[in-house]
Amino acid sequence: MLRKILLPTILIILGYGFWVSPDFKVIAAGVSIFLFGMLSLEEGFKAFSGGTLENILRKSTDKLYKSISFGILATTVMQSSSLVSVLTISFLGAGLIGLAQGIGIVFGANIGTTTGAWLVAGFGLKVKISAYAMPMLVFGIILIFQKTKSLKGIGYILAGLGFLFLGIHFMKDGFEAFKNTLDLASFGGTGLKYLFIFTGIGVFATVVMQSSHATLVLIITALSVGQISYENALALAIGANVGTTITAIIGAMSSNIVGKRLAGAHLIFNVVTGLIAIIFMHQIMFSVEFVSGYVGIASDDYTLKLAVFHTIFNVIGVVVMVPFINKLVVFLESSLKDTVKKQGSKLDNYDGVKYLNDSVLELPSTAMAAIIRETKHLYENSFEIITHGLNLKKTNIVSSMPLDEVIRDHYSNKTVNIDELYNYKIKGIYGEIIDFSTKAQSIMSPEDIEVLYQLKLANRDIVQAVKDTKHLQKNLVKYAKNDNKHIKKEYDTIRKDLAELLRNINIIANTDEEDVIILLLSKARIHTKKYDIVANGTLDNLIRKSLITNEMATSLMNDSSYAHDISKNLIEMATVTFTDRNSNSSSINVDMKISEEDIDSILKSKDK
Amino acid sequence: MGFKKFFESVKETLGLDNSEKESKKKSIKNLLKKLNSKKNTVQKELKKKSSKKDKNELQEELKIIICHLKNGKKMLQKLESK
Repeated sequence: MLRKILLPTILIILGYGFWVSPDFKVIAAGVSIFLFGMLSLEEGFKAFSGGTLENILRKSTDKLYKSISFGILATTVMQSSSLVSVLTISFLGAGLIGLAQGIGIVFGANIGTTTGAWLVAGFGLKVKISAYAMPMLVFGIILIFQKTKSLKGIGYILAGLGFLFLGIHFMKDGFEAFKNTLDLASFGGTGLKYLFIFTGIGVFATVVMQSSHATLVLIITALSVGQISYENALALAIGANVGTTITAIIGAMSSNIVGKRLAGAHLIFNVVTGLIAIIFMHQIMFSVEFVSGYVGIASDDYTLKLAVFHTIFNVIGVVVMVPFINKLVVFLESSLKDTVKKQGSKLDNYDGVKYLNDSVLELPSTAMAAIIRETKHLYENSFEIITHGLNLKKTNIVSSMPLDEVIRDHYSNKTVNIDELYNYKIKGIYGEIIDFSTKAQSIMSPEDIEVLYQLKLANRDIVQAVKDTKHLQKNLVKYAKNDNKHIKKEYDTIRKDLAELLRNINIIANTDEEDVIILLLSKARIHTKKYDIVANGTLDNLIRKSLITNEMATSLMNDSSYAHDISKNLIEMATVTFTDRNSNSSSINVDMKISEEDIDSILKSKDK
Repeated sequence: MGFKKFFESVKETLGLDNSEKESKKKSIKNLLKKLNSKKNTVQKELKKKSSKKDKNELQEELKIIICHLKNGKKMLQKLESK
């Protein structure tokens, strides 16, 4: 309802303003050009987010001070805390970083965003900035039309900066001309009342423009021509800081729970910082005077003093909040609970997707990381179903218990309903992975699409393995209590071989050692062939010696084939899913994979 | 951290690490080094183990390692000849 009213109201106010004052039109155009410049800048930086940014983020957020530094640096370079917030939410959504690291980045971004005020106050207003804007726009637009992704990115960044400069120029010109017709400073005042009023105006302006940077530039340009007083400008800056959280909240709406928690942390941080700034306004103003005097800022240079104020109160906010980060994480995790269960589902056991959400679609790499993680999640569920379908205990498989004991320790005396488990834990996730992959494909390069295709096949392999377990389970149960010890032994061998495979895949899933992965995968391939009772002659032997009935032989032949297929599918899945896609190990694993001839020669030499 | 190591780390972080071929060669060499060390360990263990079952398992592992070492060396030669 509010949204429906807000847009027409803003349009009517702007329309009226343009009609009444041509100078207001220039200021508004300046803000619009500035915002357009920010969009262009964000587009440009996104072109470089295919690997470099992710590499830096991965390596520079393992410690809190590094996360904060990353937030400061990234926001200083990109001049957009919103972009840094959106990227952080995207990384959080894909599970690439933790909440504490994300909060660190957001804290850092708040300090980084203060460099914008320094740039505008120290450079933008001191020189004829529009002179720089023109060549930037020309070069930028030429580069935007190039086919190379990086050149296009540079083009967007240049054009973005050009538009930012042009926007600042128009805002400055507009305010200067506006001063001749109307003195806005006469509406201002001092005291607590005006402090709250102007803070509120700052919040409102930032919510409307969705950019604290734009609000701050507007404040600085208005301050530079004396259209607002210094005290009121400080209150507006506090409001801009609080209002900016709205961008993060909107970004988090399409994110999963961790993104929402980050937006919560952002809101808490900015509100607390704003309150501190309001309560200790006089003390902070005193320190601004002290710092300004120390660094040689003229006593009447209020725009630079505003930049000092903006930096000081954000740094104070970070210093105050840093000791409480862990408590903040606990609070957010307990107040914003993870509801993985699919909305509208009445099934208590229903397991939904954990990592797939619109926020990870911001970048190809986060989309890919989310799909890989979701595939692993699907495998975890299938691991449980296959294990229970084979009447084995999951804890025994992942332990170092001898396999003979693992198969003796049954999971349950009842038959596990695989169909039901499939519907609860596999079907929905699988469907969503396929659906999401189709969406993600549109933002990916041809090389990424090839990887995505392999991942889709890996998901299909998982699903197939679960379905084959269902077929296998029928006779496993039937012959487990059979009097014929030969058939019982063969089915126990099938269970033991699959248990060994599941154990090895679990090791592969939890190690980074490439040699361990490659050796275990090869071992699994060899064992799949070695334990094929049709190929190794075991079945023929049992029939020839009349140790099993014809019915048993048919069942064993079919089930051996199911077990063989389960192994093959799980090995293929593990090769694709559990190798590090950020290194070369994935392609090396494929290239160094032992051939069928190698497997045959190893098996033959063993028989000798 | 020495300057060279720092420079390498920055290059790697920024994705400026030589060509794809060079980085693949580096990864294969690392893997071959690990496999060779594994081969030595298995060979030593083979001398110690007395049970037939253990010996069979180790021999199988040794054959797999030898096979991968052969494949890896071939890949390396192929990359170097390009």
